[in-house]
Amino acid sequence: MKTKVMDIKSISRSKWLPLYFAIVTTIFSFNMPAVAQDDGARSYWKGRSGTNVMSFQYLPINIGASDSKAFAPGQYIYPNSDVNANVFVGTYSRHMTIFNRASALTVNVIGGSVGATMNASIGSDSLLLPPGIGPGASFSQSSNGFADPNIQLAVNLIGTSKLKSTVDLLNYEPKVTLDIALLVAVPIGKYDNEKMVNLGLNRWYGRIALPFKYHFGVFSPGYMWSFELVPSVYIFAENSDFLGRKLENEPLWSIESHLTCDFTTNFFGSLDVLYQNGFKSKIDGTEVGENIEIGTIGFTLNYSVSDNITLRTSYNSNVFGDDNLETSSIRLQFVYAWNKPSQNAKKLQHGH
Amino acid sequence: MKTKASLLLLLLGLIVSTNLFICNDVMAQEAKRPNILLIVADDMGYSDLGCYGGEINTPVLDNLSTEGVRYTNFYVSPTCSVTRSMLLTGTDNHVAGLGNMGELNAPNQMGQPGYEGVLNDDVVTVASLLKDNGYHTYMAGKWHLGLAQDEIPHARGFERDFSLLVGGGSHFNNGWNLEWQIPNAPYTEDGKPVEKLPKDFYSSKNYTDKTIQFIEEGRNDGKPFFAYMAYTAPHGPLQVPNKWLRRYKNHYDEGWDGIREKRLARMEELGIVDEGVNSADRLYFLPRSSGLTPALRVALGRKMEIYASMVEYMDDQIGRVFDYLKEIGEYENTIVIFISDNGAEGNDLRSMVAGQPGSMGFLHGMNSFAENSHNSIGRQGTYAEYGAAWAQVSMTPFRIYKGWTAEGGIRSPLIVSGPGVQGSGELNKDAVLHVKDIVPTILELASVEHPSSFNGREVAPVQGKSWVEMLEGETQSPRGPNDWLGWELFGNRAIRQGDWKISSLYQPLGTGDWQLYNLAEDPGEQNDLSDKRPDKRKELIALWEEYEKTNGVIIGNRSPFERAKKALPDPVPEYDNYPPLRGIEAVPYEKLLEMMNK
Repeated sequence: MKTKVMDIKSISRSKWLPLYFAIVTTIFSFNMPAVAQDDGARSYWKGRSGTNVMSFQYLPINIGASDSKAFAPGQYIYPNSDVNANVFVGTYSRHMTIFNRASALTVNVIGGSVGATMNASIGSDSLLLPPGIGPGASFSQSSNGFADPNIQLAVNLIGTSKLKSTVDLLNYEPKVTLDIALLVAVPIGKYDNEKMVNLGLNRWYGRIALPFKYHFGVFSPGYMWSFELVPSVYIFAENSDFLGRKLENEPLWSIESHLTCDFTTNFFGSLDVLYQNGFKSKIDGTEVGENIEIGTIGFTLNYSVSDNITLRTSYNSNVFGDDNLETSSIRLQFVYAWNKPSQNAKKLQHGH
Repeated sequence: MKTKASLLLLLLGLIVSTNLFICNDVMAQEAKRPNILLIVADDMGYSDLGCYGGEINTPVLDNLSTEGVRYTNFYVSPTCSVTRSMLLTGTDNHVAGLGNMGELNAPNQMGQPGYEGVLNDDVVTVASLLKDNGYHTYMAGKWHLGLAQDEIPHARGFERDFSLLVGGGSHFNNGWNLEWQIPNAPYTEDGKPVEKLPKDFYSSKNYTDKTIQFIEEGRNDGKPFFAYMAYTAPHGPLQVPNKWLRRYKNHYDEGWDGIREKRLARMEELGIVDEGVNSADRLYFLPRSSGLTPALRVALGRKMEIYASMVEYMDDQIGRVFDYLKEIGEYENTIVIFISDNGAEGNDLRSMVAGQPGSMGFLHGMNSFAENSHNSIGRQGTYAEYGAAWAQVSMTPFRIYKGWTAEGGIRSPLIVSGPGVQGSGELNKDAVLHVKDIVPTILELASVEHPSSFNGREVAPVQGKSWVEMLEGETQSPRGPNDWLGWELFGNRAIRQGDWKISSLYQPLGTGDWQLYNLAEDPGEQNDLSDKRPDKRKELIALWEEYEKTNGVIIGNRSPFERAKKALPDPVPEYDNYPPLRGIEAVPYEKLLEMMNK
């Protein structure tokens, strides 16, 4: 969130007049549920109620597994496999007030393509072989189209009461905040029950997160620092038609952390850490493989081009967790945000 | 021989016992002389203290007012160095070298006697006289009376000092100066330059620390002390330690008009002003606060919040000195005088200091105090002023503010307390007092004569009048109905005699000509009685001419206010029936917020 308040001069009325319209409050916020990724730095910073945010992301993701399994999410990755995905995420977020608390409702539409080259040498686990593929064979599969869209509601519990008016924003100087975020994914993405690789999961899944933030220093553009921690758990319904079998997964536990810092009033950076563990699979009631354990470290750079437009990029790669896994992803994001009162103030100020 | 020896012994005995008697008498006299603690706030308004009707929490000074006496007709000069020159010498600023502020001398004043811009050699400070007469003399805080080695506090009578030599700057340890010509504010300690301020430096705290340190280190010899605590709070930049930043959060969201009304009501309750007092209208170029959006009121109120925190912080620090004096058993023997140096600051000094892009002032501002966002102001590296509207609140019920010889520029709170001060808790509204009176008062309390020469040079006599008889309850005022006071600064001028005052102010806040007011009926200076009482106006103009001649006043051919008429819009009176759309003030603030939130 960025709040700009023009300073007041006290000498002449001619200087005063523009000030009646001078409070311009511009809010950018990101509220992106995870798609094989973290939510991102400053995702749970709250904006003025009524602020709309549209975001478009492009994420090229690479996963290489030697002797382990990875999650993307709900995807089961073979040992000795390489996965390349090009994912596009369109997001609409609206900031609002629920029970007098700052909140945000976010809808994500996800699409793109994913391709995997796998070695079925695991052999003994015939439960995971797609139709027509024998043990020991190498095979490639791909999918493109839309994944399961999801919707998330984040409501502040501590530290951020309503942000309805400019007055609320001017008075907002958070120190510690705690939110609750509930996400549900709707299983309408593209799914082929004969493929290992799909964009849709063919099952409901959801997530409960408790995003926590601690703000350092001055809550003013150019001076903001924050430490953010997002513990969460993904819970999956069963996929009753995974290669003709029933796939169940244990919960996936996740903890995401960011240390963010303003470099200038328009530019901030973040050090990002993500750790995920869990997701042990069962096929037709039989346990398959081990827990997935991924630990990534990355960074984010975020630049506000104007009051409405922001560009963001981030990179992460796994550096701890399972030694036999290599993941890397880049995020390129364009954000457009608008708030009617702010837009109207600008119009009035500029005589439109 | 034996008789001779006996006589000699007797004589010797007599001499010894007489000497002992004399020594004991001197020591007894020494013990009786009171300590003097002179406390000056910088740019603090007349009605900011709780005991003067302000909503700012100032328990220490409020308590001091219950032990001592508050005065409602105490005058200073419109700006700080000018007041300080009189405060320390007891004579007129035009005599003492501060005919104008050194930084703002007009071309025709340059090099003229009385316009040296520093304390000149025609005067002696009260510190020098007390030091030579058995007092310890300490100073901590703002000097603003000269930078050269022979002009600094150490050279002008203070045996110990920790001084900011210039007019103002950062209150924190980054120590930037208001003026770009000397980017880092110069401090001295015991006459030597301070190379580096402590990391945790904050003006009010460190000036208090130093005062306590000086008293502690000098107290073993039993000599009384004169301590001059020249706080730089709440002079801009409005800054306060982080923990105090939000002490008044949202206290001023209502806006200046409502706050001023409430102040005025409290002042009436306390008896500071008469009921139904004719207070000054909001200056015509300031908007009524009810016409501003709630958000703008919050943004502007934040500045007043920080100002209020600075005042309370200073009050708290003064409390530390009092506690210390009580601890060492000296409080009961200490005369405390508290004043502000001039009216509250309503000018946009920050803009003057920062100048235009491309100027050196602007470069200095870029390097020192560029940050001024809503949540930043009040912290290190910021420079906020609270502006004319809040300054008018601070100066309730008076007109205008610092820099002008209207009552809003020259009226100050005054509290005097200590041994011999009669009438604890009383309010004296009769005495017309002036900052020049403080030197003769202190000297009389300390049993020290003001000399006609000092260190081989002639010095100007004090012009002020001692308050001692008044403090002891023998009179209500040191001035009679025929006594009068005069002021001149930047070409603005005034004379007060009894209840009558004439003032001539630059346009558009004045007319550029003499205006006549009766302050008993009209302390807000709203009704010019020039046409009704031309005789009185003429009498006072004659006094002005006397003042001008006696003190060698040279009206500057340039003035910081010479462009005020062009900078401000024409003064258009606000009529009850214009503009025709009225009544918004009737909407309670909470209701208004609710409406705005819909």
